[in-house]
Amino acid sequence: MPIKLMAASRRRPGLTRAEYQRYLEFYHGTIARRERFRIRSYVQNHVIDGAFGVLEDATHQQVCERDAVVELQFDSFRDMLETLEPATPSAASQDGRFFADERTNVIVMAEEEEIPVPAPVPAFNPGLGIVQGVGALKVLLYIMRADEVFREDYYQYLREAHEHALQQSSYAREQLRRCVLNVRCRANDNDAAARKHFKMVDPPVYDLVMTQWYDTIEQAGAFRQYFEALRSYPRVFANWSKSFYLYTRQVVIIRDTPES
Amino acid sequence: MQSTTAETRVQLNFKDWYASTRATADRPPLSPEEAQRPFARYYDEKIPPPDPAHFAMMHEPCDPARAIGPERLNDLLDPGELAVEIGWCNLPNGAGFIANRMVYPEVTAEMVDWWFAWHPLENLRYRIWYPPQHGGLMLSPEGRRRILDPSIPNREKNWGVVHHVTENCNCGMENIDIHFLSPQDFGFDMARWKEPYVSTFAGGFGWAVSVNKTDESITAPALMCHIFRQHPQGLEHRTRFWMGYRMSNGKPELTLPPGVAVPAAAVQGLARHNVCEFTRWGEFLPRIYREFGHSMVC
Repeated sequence: MPIKLMAASRRRPGLTRAEYQRYLEFYHGTIARRERFRIRSYVQNHVIDGAFGVLEDATHQQVCERDAVVELQFDSFRDMLETLEPATPSAASQDGRFFADERTNVIVMAEEEEIPVPAPVPAFNPGLGIVQGVGALKVLLYIMRADEVFREDYYQYLREAHEHALQQSSYAREQLRRCVLNVRCRANDNDAAARKHFKMVDPPVYDLVMTQWYDTIEQAGAFRQYFEALRSYPRVFANWSKSFYLYTRQVVIIRDTPES
Repeated sequence: MQSTTAETRVQLNFKDWYASTRATADRPPLSPEEAQRPFARYYDEKIPPPDPAHFAMMHEPCDPARAIGPERLNDLLDPGELAVEIGWCNLPNGAGFIANRMVYPEVTAEMVDWWFAWHPLENLRYRIWYPPQHGGLMLSPEGRRRILDPSIPNREKNWGVVHHVTENCNCGMENIDIHFLSPQDFGFDMARWKEPYVSTFAGGFGWAVSVNKTDESITAPALMCHIFRQHPQGLEHRTRFWMGYRMSNGKPELTLPPGVAVPAAAVQGLARHNVCEFTRWGEFLPRIYREFGHSMVC
C-alpha cells in the first residue's frame, strides 16, 4: 500500500508567504522533478488561510503559522527511506533551509483511507460525472489526539464524530467532494529519517490528518460548519487547542496520470 | 452503563497507563487488591521449564530456504507439516521468521478462545501466564467494552481489539501493541477455514518499542499467528512470527529499511520466549479454565 509523508512547514525569517511559495513551487519543486528517486507523487498544498486552536483559548499553544504542506507518496516504506536517505545527500534535502524554518516542521508518515462522501460531484454542473472527488479548495485538518485517549479509540471516535458532523451540517454534506483520512503509520514512530531530512526539533505528533476537498474557496464556510459540528461530538478524543486546519491550493509537482 | 467490577476498575486512560509501564516493567509484588483475586495463587506457582530438546531447537537458526514468508500464510491450512515447524532465522529480505509447534494433551479450542478473551482484562491475568517475563496488559475502554460484551462469542471478542502488553522477549522490557484480527482480516483463505485443517486462531500484528523509549528508539512491527488444529495427542498449536512486517491495507508489507535485517538476537529471543511461555500455558490452561472458564468476570 502506498505510504505518504506529509510535511507542514512555515517560511524562514525574512520571506513573505508569496516568496516562500514561489520558491517552494519553482525551485524546490523543480529539484524534486530532477531528483525524483522513488517518489510516486509529490503534491504541494499552498496555504491560503487557516486557524490554530479554538476560540476558547486565551493564547496560541503552538506554532501558529504554516505556509505549505507537501505530500510525498511512495509505493512502499522502503522506497520512502531510499528517497529520504540516499547514499549521497539529495539536493532537495539541502534546499529546505533556503525557504523554510525547518526546525518547526511537522511531519506525519501516513496511510490513506478514503471515506465516501454523499456528493462527490456538484449538483449544479456535474458535467459527464466521470471525474469525481475533486475541488479547488483543499482543507487539511490536523487533529491532535487527546493525551488520555488510546489510539484505537481515537480513530473510532473520530469516525463517529465525522458521521455526526455530516449529519449536523447540511451545507458540508452538500459541498464536500472528497474526504481522506491520513492515518499515522507507526513504522518508525520517531520518524528518524524524516526528522533528519526535515531537520525538525521536538515536533508535535499528530495521529491523523483529515483532507477534504470543496469546489472553491467560496465553500470554506461549509468546512467551517463541519468543523464546529465535529468539535461538538460528545466523546472526548481530540485536543482542539493543539489542532489546526489549513485552506490550501494544491500544486502538483509530480503525479503521473493513472492508466485506468 | 457498565457496573463496576474488578475487570472495569483497573481501567486507566492512555496517559496514565503509558506512564505506569516503567513501573510495570519492574514486575513489582502484587498489590493487596491483586493478592485477593481468586486466581492470584497461580502467580506463585513453579513454572515448568521447557523440554530441553525442544528448547535446543531454538539455539541455532534454521535454513532460511525452508522457512516461509507471510505471503504463504495459507500453507498453514495444508494437511501435514511444513518444512520448518520449530525454528527461527532471518529471511533473505532481512525479516525475522519464527516457527514453533506444541501439542497440548488437555487443551481444547474452547479453552484457547476463552483464554485470549479473558486474560487481557487485568494485569495479573497476564502476569500469571508467565511471571518471569510478563509485566502487564491494558486495554482501551472500547476494547474492554467489547471483551466484556456477552453478546460477542469468545472466539470473536478480540477481533479489532488491541492488547497493550508489557513484556520481555529476552531483549529487555517492551511495550507491545498487539492488534488482534479475525482470520479473514489476517489473510487466511476462509474457503479452507474448517476442521480438520484448523480449530481456532489468535493473531494479528504488533508494534514493539522499548519501555525505556528514547528519541532514537525503533518501533518494530511484526505479524503474529497462533493457529490450532486437532491432533491425535490433543490440540496442536502452531506459532509463526514474521518480524519486520506490518499489515498494510490487509496485506503484509516488509517495513525494514533497505539493507537492514531484524537483529538475530531479537528473533532468537522471541523464539525462546515463545517456547517458555507456551510450555507454561499448555500446562496451566486446563486447570484455570476449569475454575474460571465459565465467564469473563470473577
